[in-house]
Amino acid sequence: MRIAFAGNPNSGKTTMYNALTGRSEKIGNWGGVTVGSKEFQLKKEFAGDKEVIAVDLPGAYSMSPFTPEEGITSEYVRTANPDVIVNIVDATNLSRSLFFTTQLLELGIPVVVALNKTDINEKEGTKIDAAKLAARLNCPVYETVSTENKGLSEMIAKAISLAGTMQKAPYLQADIDLHDKNAVDAEDRKRYSFVNGIVSDVETRKTLSAETTQSDKLDGVLTNPIAGILIFAVVMWGVFWVSQTWLGPLVADWLVGWISAFQEWVAGQLENSPAILSALLADGIVGGVGAVVGFLPLVMVMYFLIALLEDCGYMARVSAVMDPIFKRVGLSGKSVIPVVIGTGCGIPAIMACRTIRDERERRATTMLTTFIPCGAKIPVIALFAGAFFNGAGWVSTLSYFLGLVLIFLGALLIKGITGYKYRKSFFIMELPKWKAPSLKFAFRSMMERAKAYIIKAATIILICNTVVQIMQTFDWHFNVVEEGAENTSILASIASPFAILLIPLGFGVWQLAAAAITGFIAKENVVGTLAVVYALTSFIDTEELAMTGGASTVAATMGLTSVTALAYLFFNLYTPPCFAAIGAMNSEMKSRGWLWGAIGLQLGTGYTIAFLINQLGTLFTEGHLAAGFVPGLIAVLCMAAALVLIARKVRAHFDEQYALHKGSKSVNATA
Amino acid sequence: MNTATVLGIAAIALILFLAARYIVREKKKGNTCIGCPYADSCPKHRSGCNHPDNL
Repeated sequence: MRIAFAGNPNSGKTTMYNALTGRSEKIGNWGGVTVGSKEFQLKKEFAGDKEVIAVDLPGAYSMSPFTPEEGITSEYVRTANPDVIVNIVDATNLSRSLFFTTQLLELGIPVVVALNKTDINEKEGTKIDAAKLAARLNCPVYETVSTENKGLSEMIAKAISLAGTMQKAPYLQADIDLHDKNAVDAEDRKRYSFVNGIVSDVETRKTLSAETTQSDKLDGVLTNPIAGILIFAVVMWGVFWVSQTWLGPLVADWLVGWISAFQEWVAGQLENSPAILSALLADGIVGGVGAVVGFLPLVMVMYFLIALLEDCGYMARVSAVMDPIFKRVGLSGKSVIPVVIGTGCGIPAIMACRTIRDERERRATTMLTTFIPCGAKIPVIALFAGAFFNGAGWVSTLSYFLGLVLIFLGALLIKGITGYKYRKSFFIMELPKWKAPSLKFAFRSMMERAKAYIIKAATIILICNTVVQIMQTFDWHFNVVEEGAENTSILASIASPFAILLIPLGFGVWQLAAAAITGFIAKENVVGTLAVVYALTSFIDTEELAMTGGASTVAATMGLTSVTALAYLFFNLYTPPCFAAIGAMNSEMKSRGWLWGAIGLQLGTGYTIAFLINQLGTLFTEGHLAAGFVPGLIAVLCMAAALVLIARKVRAHFDEQYALHKGSKSVNATA
Repeated sequence: MNTATVLGIAAIALILFLAARYIVREKKKGNTCIGCPYADSCPKHRSGCNHPDNL
């Protein structure tokens, strides 16, 4: 049998689904986390000997879908004929939740109402008479707390027992013409009136929703267009400072000590073996992977802090602050969600774009969302901040805020190219109640990410580092490259042509070009490849308990100045993401033109930003322009010209498509 | 060839074999993002059946 879990966004469906199935699907303290349906068998402790499949559906406010994910829920409960529906109702917002409940009750499928989050109601002094509610709705109602497994066994036992029965609806929608907007509105008002009648009968609130609470006042400040952004900047700076300057490196030091000791032990064991073997195993595999894994604590601390911010409800407020800005530049208010998710990983962020209804806005968001540095880029940021900027927290903060600025500028550019006109769009997201963040949730979120990071390091990055090590050790005749003749290696000969293109950016050497190229496989590879090609396997100073300082061997070996290091960092952050993310972009955009446009835009943006930083930075610090200014300028102008040509082509097509008369001036002009 | 060399070669071969096998298995399962904790539940796994265009 199948039990469908349906309810409003952020009512706790996925938390309940995870508790009942033992899965660990992504949850969050805001609506819209679940964008597709998922199903899995219930645990034996809940289902007994029966085979019961739980189906977790995206949140919906109504059976008439307003968003694509609401459409999935509506479609499923209408056509998939689940045996029972468990309707998760947010007990802290009963009146809003029951609208959907009354619609589900009309389907004829037996419904069990899970009155979730009752623990919050107890704290707030709100009481709901569950027995009376059950009588009014004509279905069983159970008080539950998903996070504590409270009430779940009884609720599921009842749901299983109801399979095969028919549900009698307490309210039936009149037989109206669903195309008639006025009739639908009138019917919705009637339903709301029915729901409000039930709520006033069963609920007693200590604090009325019309009253302004301390939480409302706090929300007023945090969602203020100016104060909200400033507070967000300070909060993010704090997150980066703790994760990348203080706590992260402190833990990393301990880990790096073990990795270094292991690497030395391996090298010692291979003392009498051929040098290539030691280079491959000790330097390439242990050292290269170790260099990436050394940054794991920094990544873990950052994910832990972001999970705390998300769980307490702060990230939802950030979305509300960003919403008007996103709309103004031609994106959807919903574009905020992929951008926030993008701080973790670009792929789920790109997937989250599918909740955006408008095709142009969806494609534009997909194109731009990876400008926000993902978790894989944290080691790159941490390495350059540590080696060239004394571990300054502002490097990370600047990287993220510059990413946001690039999203806005990119959106304006796309808006200009596609001839898009500003239109009103809606972004409805309920602000979740403030709550003390769950350390368990944050810890679990952190460990899941850590596991992913380690698996990636032990598979893709390991193989890449081995290949890089081999390519660096041999020339094209498979002779071992001698010391001083590194430029003859396979890696050098492949990367050197690309390095020429990077001269105007200040880092035109094959080693840095090779690292940037391997970064397209996985961004952590930039660090791993740098470790291999420069034979620097420890980027974290185990004696100073911190990232390697500015005068360290890392900075000296790479031969970069602070300006060129920043240019190289930003080049890696804002050029196209890894191939997996590009694949996700392809499947979301469903248009080769838009995909190539996205790759071109990202390449152009990364190149231009690095060029400007290198040239202007060198001008300010040394009083002259850096090498390769003219060719670099020509390259940037060529990219600008390409944009103009694309814009003209798109607009010409636009005119052809919308001209009223075939012989009109606009069509003739472009023919 | 001494014992350490033989063990070293065997270790490299084994590590690379296991890493490659893991990647191939994940790719066969349709997982494009190796190690992703949400890969099993990723809508991309199901050929984008939840995509708005397919609704």
